[in-house]
Amino acid sequence: EGPPSCPKGCDKCSEYNGCIKCNPKLFIFLERNDIRQIGVCLPSCPVGYFGMRNPEGHNRCTQCKIENCEACFSRNFCTKCKEGLYSHSGRCYVRCPPGKHTANNTMDCE
Amino acid sequence: ICLWCFVRPSASGQGQSTAVCSPSCSCDEDGGADCSGRGLTSVPTGLSTFTYYLDLSMNNITELPAYVFKNFPYLEELRLAGNDLTFIHPDALSGLHQLKVLMLQNNQLKSVPSTALKNLHSLQSLRLDANHITTVPDESFEGLQQLRHLWLDDNHLTEVPVTSLRHQSNLQALTLALNRILYIPDNAFRNLTSLVVLHLHNNQIKEIGANCFAGLVNLETLDLNFNNLKEFPKAIQALPKLKELGFHSNDIAAIPEGAFHNNPMLRTIHLYDNPLSFVGASAFQNLSDLHSLMLRGASLMKDFPILTLTNNLESLTLSGTKISSIPTNLCEDLRLLQTLDLSYNEVTELPSFQGCGRLQEISFQHNHIQEVDRDTFQGLSVLRLLDLSRNKIRVIHKDAFLTLTGLTNLDLSMNALSMIPTTGLSSLSQLKLSGNPQMKNVLPAKNLPKLRSISVPYAYQCCAFIGCESAMRSSEETDRKKSTGAEAGEQVSMIMHCSPSPGAFKPCEHLLGNWM
Repeated sequence: EGPPSCPKGCDKCSEYNGCIKCNPKLFIFLERNDIRQIGVCLPSCPVGYFGMRNPEGHNRCTQCKIENCEACFSRNFCTKCKEGLYSHSGRCYVRCPPGKHTANNTMDCE
Repeated sequence: ICLWCFVRPSASGQGQSTAVCSPSCSCDEDGGADCSGRGLTSVPTGLSTFTYYLDLSMNNITELPAYVFKNFPYLEELRLAGNDLTFIHPDALSGLHQLKVLMLQNNQLKSVPSTALKNLHSLQSLRLDANHITTVPDESFEGLQQLRHLWLDDNHLTEVPVTSLRHQSNLQALTLALNRILYIPDNAFRNLTSLVVLHLHNNQIKEIGANCFAGLVNLETLDLNFNNLKEFPKAIQALPKLKELGFHSNDIAAIPEGAFHNNPMLRTIHLYDNPLSFVGASAFQNLSDLHSLMLRGASLMKDFPILTLTNNLESLTLSGTKISSIPTNLCEDLRLLQTLDLSYNEVTELPSFQGCGRLQEISFQHNHIQEVDRDTFQGLSVLRLLDLSRNKIRVIHKDAFLTLTGLTNLDLSMNALSMIPTTGLSSLSQLKLSGNPQMKNVLPAKNLPKLRSISVPYAYQCCAFIGCESAMRSSEETDRKKSTGAEAGEQVSMIMHCSPSPGAFKPCEHLLGNWM
């Protein structure tokens, strides 16, 4: 564990910016607090973000770039669309794209 | 009609109250229970049977015993990340018929708990990333017909778990990144006909089978970055819907002719940080969705790439090659081009860029260009930056810059110029002319009203811009003149940086005669 003053899962922190280096395998998420950014260490990223891992262990939460998406696998592939929207090939739709239809009561278009 | 809504009472709490909670958790009215980071060593008791979301991450639960979740028939999301889990009893997840999301990342599992997963028939997302998994038993995902997203990245896999994936025709996103995979065999993903995203970056892949991507008819994103590939991945020919391809940071020396002829929908290709020496001229043909192409250091490349029907390119970087000529009809295909960087090649002649009306930046630095014609840059009214430094330019047509009304930065340094035309350069703020030893004449400062910074071959030439008198006097006096605005009209502008600035040892007068 990091120094006692650091939040859980944090290896190195600063008074002003919270965590600046997380324990291995965790993702650092930068919460906005007014003009400040506060680093927080999470095992999975919050709504609208996905976790990018890299060999050096600087894993970080990165914003999904897909409209109407709550959770994503990568920048341009959504795994959970906002309530009431249909999903197809990682994107979110108000209705299924032409030629597609919903399958067995899910919000997935096939 | 949504059937499961009747089974799972709404938040209004009909039937048994959903507000039942465990002292170790905080529960909301919708059936969500957050028990994360509480130092728990086992699954807490006392939670409502209607719990549909249970977060147990970041505790100290190292084992899951049999039937530990039997009281949660409505559970849809179970989070167990960051628990140092080493063992999951084969019956630990029994009864979770409605589970859609299972997060087991960041634990100590050495193998995929295949028996425990067997009956999760509604599971759509399974996270097993950041464990110590070395083996994926063949039957690992057999019961998971609804599986769409699978994370196996950041583990210790040395091969693609081909057999365990063979029934996953609904899988849409798979990451095997950050493992120790060395080779991808033919037909490795044969039945993954719904796969859209496949990440294989940060492995040790040295070789791939010519048909290793067979069957991936819907794949849109393939990430092979940071591997040890020596050959161009020709297996991508099996990917008709590919939009984003990455193979940067590998050991690939050549991109063959027709490399992407079966991938007409490509938008992005990341190929930097490869020891590229050869690129087939026809490699990037017919890629009408490609917006950016960046090729550096293909040192054996002689022919300019054929870009017919690759007509949506906005940025083209092609530097460090042996290309000596550019097609004269370049702008017939590349009408949307905004940035063109052809520096560090062996180009001798410039074509006319007249059809490329959206060009904002052009760089031909370090080529073998000798002259600039009247039509070369005609009509490029939004061009801001033009770098022709380090060539052999002797002559620039007097009207060459006539229409460059938007040009702000012009670099003609290190050439063989004796003079330059300035008509049309009314917006120029930075001009570099150093390294043109034959250029001894005075530059017409009045044609360059917005100039802020200029470098010239000789110090005396700065006098036209910062005035000989002011150069002799101390800086305080200069400030006094500036503040009173006196003689403001005489110099072009006092806010000017000119180098080499005249001084005691670099007098304003030209040593070989008084030009004043």
